Amino acid sequence: MSHAFAAAVCRSAAPLALRCSRRTMSSSTARMLRLATVTTASSAAHKNWHRQGLLAANTGNLQQYLRQYANEKKVFERTKPHCNVGTIGHVDHGKTTLTAAITKVLADKQLAESKKYNEIDNAPEEKARGITINVAHVEYQTETRHYGHTDCPGHADYIKNMITGTAQMDGAILVVAATDGAMPQTREHMLLAKQIGIDHIVVFINKVDAADQEMVDLVEMEIRELLTEMGYDGDKIPVVKGSALCALEDKSPEIGKEAILKLLQEVDSFIPTPVRELDKPFLLPVENVYSIPGRGTVVTGRLERGVVKKGMECEFVGYNKVLKSTVTGVEMFHQILEEAQAGDQLGALVRGVKRDDIKRGMVMCKPGSVKALDQLEAQVYILSKDEGGRTKPFMSFIQLQMFSRTWDCAVQVQIPDKDMVMPGEDTKLILRLIRPMVLEQGQRFTLRDGNLTLGTGVVTKIMPGLTETQRSELTEGKKAREKKVAAKK
Amino acid sequence: MLVQRLCMRAVHTTRQLCAGASAGTGLEKSALAALRKKTGYTFANCKKALEMHNNDVSLAEKWLNDQAQSMGWTKATKVADRATAQGLVGVLIRGNRGAMVELNCETDFVARNDTFKRFVDHVARICLHYTDMTDFDGDLWKLGFDGDALKNLRTDEGRTLGDHLALLIGAMGENASIRRALCFKVNNDLRLAGYAHPAPTNVGSTEGITQVGKYGAVVAYRSTHKLLDFEFHKSICQQIVGMKPKKVGEYDKDQPNENKDEETCLIHQEYLLDADKTVGEALQEHNCEIVDFHRFECGQQLSGGLNLEEYIRSQSSN
Repeated sequence: MSHAFAAAVCRSAAPLALRCSRRTMSSSTARMLRLATVTTASSAAHKNWHRQGLLAANTGNLQQYLRQYANEKKVFERTKPHCNVGTIGHVDHGKTTLTAAITKVLADKQLAESKKYNEIDNAPEEKARGITINVAHVEYQTETRHYGHTDCPGHADYIKNMITGTAQMDGAILVVAATDGAMPQTREHMLLAKQIGIDHIVVFINKVDAADQEMVDLVEMEIRELLTEMGYDGDKIPVVKGSALCALEDKSPEIGKEAILKLLQEVDSFIPTPVRELDKPFLLPVENVYSIPGRGTVVTGRLERGVVKKGMECEFVGYNKVLKSTVTGVEMFHQILEEAQAGDQLGALVRGVKRDDIKRGMVMCKPGSVKALDQLEAQVYILSKDEGGRTKPFMSFIQLQMFSRTWDCAVQVQIPDKDMVMPGEDTKLILRLIRPMVLEQGQRFTLRDGNLTLGTGVVTKIMPGLTETQRSELTEGKKAREKKVAAKK
Repeated sequence: MLVQRLCMRAVHTTRQLCAGASAGTGLEKSALAALRKKTGYTFANCKKALEMHNNDVSLAEKWLNDQAQSMGWTKATKVADRATAQGLVGVLIRGNRGAMVELNCETDFVARNDTFKRFVDHVARICLHYTDMTDFDGDLWKLGFDGDALKNLRTDEGRTLGDHLALLIGAMGENASIRRALCFKVNNDLRLAGYAHPAPTNVGSTEGITQVGKYGAVVAYRSTHKLLDFEFHKSICQQIVGMKPKKVGEYDKDQPNENKDEETCLIHQEYLLDADKTVGEALQEHNCEIVDFHRFECGQQLSGGLNLEEYIRSQSSN
């Protein structure tokens, strides 16, 4: 339960590890063992884990080590809102130096742990949901917010990071060197930001110590122009000029330390704080339904977001049905709960619905807050063979099983912009569900083929529902399709 | 409310900045801006050029263009030891000739950039041009190049491909390399088809156009069909890209593998477009015979210390 809670409330990988530990401090060693093994998220703590892992192997007492590990870990304090940012930019323009400089400047204020350049530089390979990503996560905080900072070496890594959702980025810092200006591929960096849904960019013009004022001004103009061209509001985007290297080496504070602080201030104010799960309309994916004689129907599940109280109106959506009802009681661990919060595993007593009306896979939510869909556009990563995926590529019209929340459903796949998809590739797919299910933009899912996980993805766009003919086409075979094509010719 | 105020503040500062910039605009600044816009060379270099030529834009531009080559080489040597694991495969088929090239770069951002794609096209054309210079009247002729041989290939203007590569490195600021290339020439009743994956859908003929992607395949085939069945040949190339066959296979010699997912003979593989057929059956339906094929995968490990020509020989002797 505590693990589930942590996973729900925190959106970044790094604090996840930390928060788990707080929860486990008071628990039994057995639980620690389980949790420590599930905690695959990376962070400084993760590195520690490896280092300590060697030690533990030496002493040969894993249990003792784990106890020690849990006690040693810092307790994550939730006092500030959390926000995820990332750096993008050309390899030589100082993304990593900037990240190192940020941690150093904040470490002086006791707000971060200082990281050296080479600690961040070689983005470690991480396995998130069985997918290998090169990604470096750094954690720090300013006076007002707590940050998870992501840095990836390539486009594909950012896409995988978006899909697996270890840290959905709320904003990005674009790093450009004043000496070089925008590179040809800066356009590609901005395209990526668009693709992974980043609406807020803050620009840092680096290496101003090696350039003069005139060059810096021209670089700024150029970047603003390019941002406008790529569909961002180039005139309003904050641009900060400085030298990450100076900040790192404690030289010329006006372009070093102060520039970094200025940048962080802009990040604080320009990138909006994401809405907390707790503040959203409530949603509970139904796991089980019971009928309790004398009381009525009880649905159980983990509250994904929002708050549920006795007396609230609710709606069950899924399997072509929408049922209205009222929550008449909320329980957790056989105890009555005043108010259930996102992350709680609960049972809710609902009025006026029969057990057979509700099925696992439906969601209980605030009336009107979600809709069932049967057609959507998604960005999907197809697992390579090494990651446990399939060896063969696939083409349009393949039938797969889609798993999301507590439901699964047969889908037909359309590949909009290529002929086939190879294992290890990320791609845009159009998925047509055999019956409408609750889906929202940003929702994550897995695609399976028989007993094989084929890929995981995230819903990027909601599409209009299927027409009757389209739906009947879903079930028809290849032969019928070919006949139609032939008839058209 | 707060957000609104902050936005306003951002607008405000921006305005001030713009005002400041325009007020300070002198002759020099516009010269630097113009030169950068025109040439695309880095600000540092443009600045240096202007300083050397007393702000004469045309002289500075000339100097920059003259220097670009040597600056490219300097940059290229500086970044030479950095790994290039990303890149593109380019496939170009024109008539009875074909070329398949692989170029590498450091990040996939660069591989997506048009400048890089144009360079892939350029290299493919140079390689294709090379086949023109060879007289050959047998059935199938092919030649592999390794990176070093490619760098010494001459282009029309008398420079080598290596020079062009250095220019690209100078512009991109990232290491890049030309890894390998393969040229084809067929005669008599043989034909060539090529495909690079991922390719955009609904493109007509790819004749004379360099296709670029992460994977590439070129097929030499013999067909008694009068019409060119473009879609079918593309599907055979897709089959090769997707299913990585090791050889074409012969009907009387090679037995189908028991596990059909591990089949390495092209003719015995399950046909991707129709799982009920094998590729061999599909080929017979279309009166087509595959004589030879090659597959490139970007970043693919070549077996051992084998150089490319040996590698080709070993493949074709199968």
